[in-house]
This record gives sequence, structure tokens and C-alpha cells, in this order.
Amino acid sequence: MRLQGKVAVVTGGAQGIGRAITFGMAREGAKVVVADIQADKAESVAKEARALGAEALALEVNVASEPSVQRLAEETFKRFGAVDILVNDAGVYLRSPVVSKSEEDWDRTFNINLGGNFLCARAFVPAMRKQKSGRIISIASSIAHTGAKEFADYAASKAAIIGFVKALARELGPDGITVNAICPGSANTDMPRRHRSEEEVMARLRATPLGHVLEPEDIAGSVLFLASDAASYITGQAYNINCGTVMI
Amino acid sequence: MSQVALISGGGGGIGGAVAHRMAQAAVTVVVADYDLDAAEKVRREIVRGGGKAEARSVDVTQAREVKALVTEVAERSGRIDVLANIAGGSIYTKRIEEFSWAEWRQVIDVNLKGTFLMCREVAPLMQQQKSGRILNTASNYGVTGSALRVPYSAAKAGIIAFTRSLALELAPDGILVNTIAPGPTDTPRVMEKETPEARKQRWWSAIPLGRTGKPEDLAELFYFLTTPESAAITGQTFHCNGGLI
Repeated sequence: MRLQGKVAVVTGGAQGIGRAITFGMAREGAKVVVADIQADKAESVAKEARALGAEALALEVNVASEPSVQRLAEETFKRFGAVDILVNDAGVYLRSPVVSKSEEDWDRTFNINLGGNFLCARAFVPAMRKQKSGRIISIASSIAHTGAKEFADYAASKAAIIGFVKALARELGPDGITVNAICPGSANTDMPRRHRSEEEVMARLRATPLGHVLEPEDIAGSVLFLASDAASYITGQAYNINCGTVMI
Repeated sequence: MSQVALISGGGGGIGGAVAHRMAQAAVTVVVADYDLDAAEKVRREIVRGGGKAEARSVDVTQAREVKALVTEVAERSGRIDVLANIAGGSIYTKRIEEFSWAEWRQVIDVNLKGTFLMCREVAPLMQQQKSGRILNTASNYGVTGSALRVPYSAAKAGIIAFTRSLALELAPDGILVNTIAPGPTDTPRVMEKETPEARKQRWWSAIPLGRTGKPEDLAELFYFLTTPESAAITGQTFHCNGGLI
């Protein structure tokens, strides 16, 4: 087990990619905090993680709220006494053309997708600095590179995460903390289903060079690698996992 | 049946570490190198540690030698699951006007043509298998460029684009092709030319993690890209440089 005894916080851990990451961490021996705005789902994911033999704590967290993230940090330290891995996966995905996008929607996307990265990093970095080790892994998107029609706020927020990750990697490298991003292609989760029919979603998921449907577990695999000792010399990177759809 | 990995440059610093990492995972390793003694040394260390390895000599710039090597490995092992093209190097550091045509071709050939020749011979076997992982080696210089290393930077940038094209070409057969781009790495070949102090002076302040890379750092990334966990990754470039770029 590659993460025996480590403490991992996974925001957006209650569904989709975050859920697969949570289970992956649990299987590798980590203690996991499932931080999600959906309290019931977080609790059931934590329960499943416990069934895998891990210690797991579910917390209702809004990553765009300072007090909520503060509480996440306090509860994490209270329960587990440390933090080794922070996975920033919480994000939203709203569809509307730029000309009719409301300022509220714009702000909401940025506050959650990008601001959540900032608030969570700020809350957990001091403890990582003290122990001179830590892993921060942020989930961006291949849309950061390609753009996507009617998802300008999402694309911009995900590209901004990559810039944030690169800057933070330089800031925290001297303390032995690595910071990386993963850019998934469209994965087999609920997210793409919000704006398209089931048939359309599956057709798009299959239309990759590899012809392999990108599953949340494919993303989790790379997150686990970056969280492990094997990746201790990798920082400031944005690795693409997309079945060959985008190469940049 | 044990998986088989063919590693060019397997007698060198990074290649040797990759060979050891693969062998640790019970993969049978064919350590191929221009320097047969170096390949033989890595083979002996792996076998002494309980792993399975063979040593072969190959000049990756010679089509006939590459074909003979791959044909022989394919006949003996029946399969090649992993091809790691690690043979290469910058060879010279000097200004463009000082490069002869022969030197230019030498650098392009050992890095880029060698990768092409190895892939050309191994790909058909992987296509029959309907599986395989090809790992090509670039460099941070292939992205940023480097003064005094014009042909090397060009070759390494070429490898990144070559990898993407081959990834698209081989994807329908379930073959994954990716690039690993090491940053400054402490290999014996590099350490011969520079004292540890000079190296520290040159690099440490530029690298956020405060040290140059070790061959083992790279070996872990190579290995990860051969595992089922990386089954959805193809055509990508993986930098491993302590945050240098």
C-alpha cells in the first residue's frame, strides 16, 4: 500500500472523479476526508471507504466559503492530527453562451473552481510546511487547453488552476511540497450528462483515439501516483489523461 | 508469461534505473546499449537481485542492427510489452556555426532517428499483440530550447511531435505511446563532466524542489506509464524536473 498512514483530503469527494480518488486513497491505506457540499453523498462515500478498511470522515464543505474551509481544516486536524495530501476536485460546470452569462454564474464558477483551490491550499499549506512534506493535486480539465463552446467560465477557471498550480509549485518546492494538476478529458460521470442525452454522452466518450471510455478510475490512478513517494520529484506539472483526445 | 521490456540505452544512468525498476516488477528486461559492457553490467546486477534480464549491443542509428535486435528478441520472447527508447544525448555543447553537418546528423540520429527505427521495428509486433507501451525520452530542452544545444533541442522537440503522431497511429491497436522529459538528472555520464559542487551551483536555485533529479525518479515515472493505472494515457509528455519548467 503506497499511502499507508497518510491523511488525504478530497474536495468534491462524494461523486464522479472525486469519489474514485477517495476509494483509491482508501485502498492504498490513506485516511480520507470526504469534503463535499453534498453531505449525504459524502457520508455514504465515507461509509464505503470504511468498508474498504480505511478511516474516513465525511464533512459538508463549501470550498468557496472561508469559514467552511476553515472548519474543514480544523476537523481534519482534530480527527487525524495531520494532512499529507490535498486533492482539489470540487468544481461546477454551467453551460451558457458568454453574451448571456450572468455575472453571478461567472463568479460562482470562479469562486468554486479556482477560489476553492486557493482557500484549501491556504488552509492546509502551513501544516505541510511544518512537516516539510505534502502533496497538492488539483483537477483541471483538458478544456483548459481546448476551450469548449458555451463553457467559457469553466475553461478559464480550469486554465487558471494550471497557472495557480505552477506558481504554487515554485512557492512550496523549497518545503518539499509538490503541487500538480491533472487535466482529464471528458469522463464517464454525471457531469457531461447534465447537458446532453445519454446516447450523445456515450457516443462522445467512445469517440477517442483509444476508443476507451475514460472512467473516473483512470483519473484516480494518476492522482494516486502523484500522491505517492514514486512522484516525489514531480512538481508544477499538468498531466493530461484523455485517451489521446488532446496532446499538448 | 512474464512481460518483456526492451530498453535502449539500458546501460546508461536513466536506462539502467528503468531496467532495474521494471525487473523489480517481474518484467523480463532486455538491456540494449551501444556499450555492451555497460548493458552486461546492468544485466548482472538485475540477475544478482533475482530479476530476469538479458544484455544486447545495439547502435540505434543503424537500421540493420535495430531490425536484427528486435527480430531476435521477438523470436526468443515471443512478445515485447514495453519499448523504452532511452538511448540518446546532447553529445556536444557549442555554437551553431561550430557544428559540422556530420555532428548535426549524429545528434539528430542518435536521439530522433534511433527512436523512429526502434518504433518502426517493434510496432508491428505490438499491433499483433493488440497491446503495448512505448516510452520515448525527450528533455526539458525539447520544450524550452537550450543555447549551445541546437540539434539536441530540435531532436527532443521532434520526439514529442513524433510521439503524438505515433500515439494517434497506434491507438486503434491499443498501443500507448508517451514521452518522458527528464530535467537535469544525475547520471554517471553527466557527473563525469561536472563536480557535484558546480552542479549544485548551477541548478539548485533554479529548481523549486532544490535538487537535481536522480535516475530513480525517472524510473518510477517510466514504470507508472507501463501499468494498468495509466491505461487511458497516450500521446502525452511527462516532465519530471523538480519544477524547473
